[in-house]
Amino acid sequence: MDSRGAMRLELTAAMAGPGRGREAADRLCGACVSLLDVDGAALSVIYDGAISRSLGSSSSVSRELDELQFTLGEGPCLDAVRSAAPVLIPDLNDPAMQRWPGFARAATQRGVRAVFALPVAVASLPIGALDLYRTRTGDLADSVLAGGLIAAELAALPLLDLMDLDLQAAVSDQDSDAWEQLSSLTRLEVYQAAGILIAQLGVTPSEALVRLRAHAFAHNRTASEVALDIIEHRLRLPDDSTDDPTPAEDGDYR
Amino acid sequence: MNGREHDVVRTFIDLSDRLVEDFDVVEVTTHLTEECAQLLGVAAAGLLLADVGGVLHLLAATSQQLRTLEVFQLQGEEGPCLDCFRSGRPVSVADLDAERDRWPRFSAIALEEGYASVHAIPMRLRDEALGTLGLFGTSPGALDEEELAIAQALAHVASLAIVQQSQALSAGHVLTGLQAAVASRRLLEMAKGVVAESLGIGMDEAFTRLRRYARLRDQRLGEVSYRVVSGMPVQRAALLAELADVADPS
Repeated sequence: MDSRGAMRLELTAAMAGPGRGREAADRLCGACVSLLDVDGAALSVIYDGAISRSLGSSSSVSRELDELQFTLGEGPCLDAVRSAAPVLIPDLNDPAMQRWPGFARAATQRGVRAVFALPVAVASLPIGALDLYRTRTGDLADSVLAGGLIAAELAALPLLDLMDLDLQAAVSDQDSDAWEQLSSLTRLEVYQAAGILIAQLGVTPSEALVRLRAHAFAHNRTASEVALDIIEHRLRLPDDSTDDPTPAEDGDYR
Repeated sequence: MNGREHDVVRTFIDLSDRLVEDFDVVEVTTHLTEECAQLLGVAAAGLLLADVGGVLHLLAATSQQLRTLEVFQLQGEEGPCLDCFRSGRPVSVADLDAERDRWPRFSAIALEEGYASVHAIPMRLRDEALGTLGLFGTSPGALDEEELAIAQALAHVASLAIVQQSQALSAGHVLTGLQAAVASRRLLEMAKGVVAESLGIGMDEAFTRLRRYARLRDQRLGEVSYRVVSGMPVQRAALLAELADVADPS
């Protein structure tokens, strides 16, 4: 296997374990520090480009720096989400990089010299960012950037899980299969079905994926199987997510 | 010039015209697969692109039917396209039925879909493998040398299109370009789902309308897809009404 394939395996394995959502986010950030050449990592979710919270981190400093960006309303993490593209800052004190004076000062005080913010997206639509911090200046090596991009892709899983609290409470973890979960976000039928849910339920793209995955978990089926049932109109999910979660989880098979 | 030479020249002129404009990578590569299938007389063509982790994903294909997409999608796990990607060399299967044991899962689905031959052509940038151009015929048979050369040239054009699109992104990095291209296909699938369900039409027709609308309005397919899936309900309704009215040119 090539090195990037091996990196994907290692990051996936590191994220697996008890507890989805916040715990998985913490494990992923920890894995970034141990497997990639960075000193800190934090994962944040962002709604509408403004309301945000930090979900996972490798250390309290990384978490603080992420939260500081939301307090200040500026920083590479917010820019990465707004532009839906990586924001790579190899030297926070480079005058050319002084886009965020408040954030740069606070980061420098905490010994951080470089930050690399990677958008976490669902089908090109950013839902959060993975921030990688370094205590020295300099570009990321290609292999480290590749690893970071893989981690940012994996990070969509805990972010989606956290968007659905019922799901977190309902799902037990012993059956969790990181590979199946990951592939649930790579199969094209899952996105077609999510599109159908957007049209049927008037939900956002993220909510559509959350609903689809929640139904799959609750019925012990793969996301791909549920997607095919939705596409073939054999299954219609209920259109009120605020209902009592027990019947709402069931859907209507015809 | 004979008939095919004329068509080949026309195809490359048309593709080069598109690539100097502000293009949409899924739209251009879809067009490329259609031209490729027509030039080489194969039933279906598709482009598989590797993400940063080296996993193949479908970027573009001549058909939007889920069953055809699955024939390509499955090759993220096994099949001639995956072997071609890993080896960096073309893989030609003139008679899939005779070689079905090489890729049992893939062969079963491809044969069931009526495909009898497969040709996988590597896409690369310098030494780096980027993905595979896959060609599927409904009758057994090999491509001749000239046909293989045409397919390889089209695969190179697809590679350049993907790399050029990467330059346009802010980080200017090929890796982020690959990731973005794979993600834009997912966005398109979501948009197809919204349009098909809202207008009560099939996925093929939904794709045709999105594409035609983008071309008529001189917008990127990705921008139109984005507005379809993430717009406010009122704006989405207005856009869907326009998509319902997109006239059929035929």
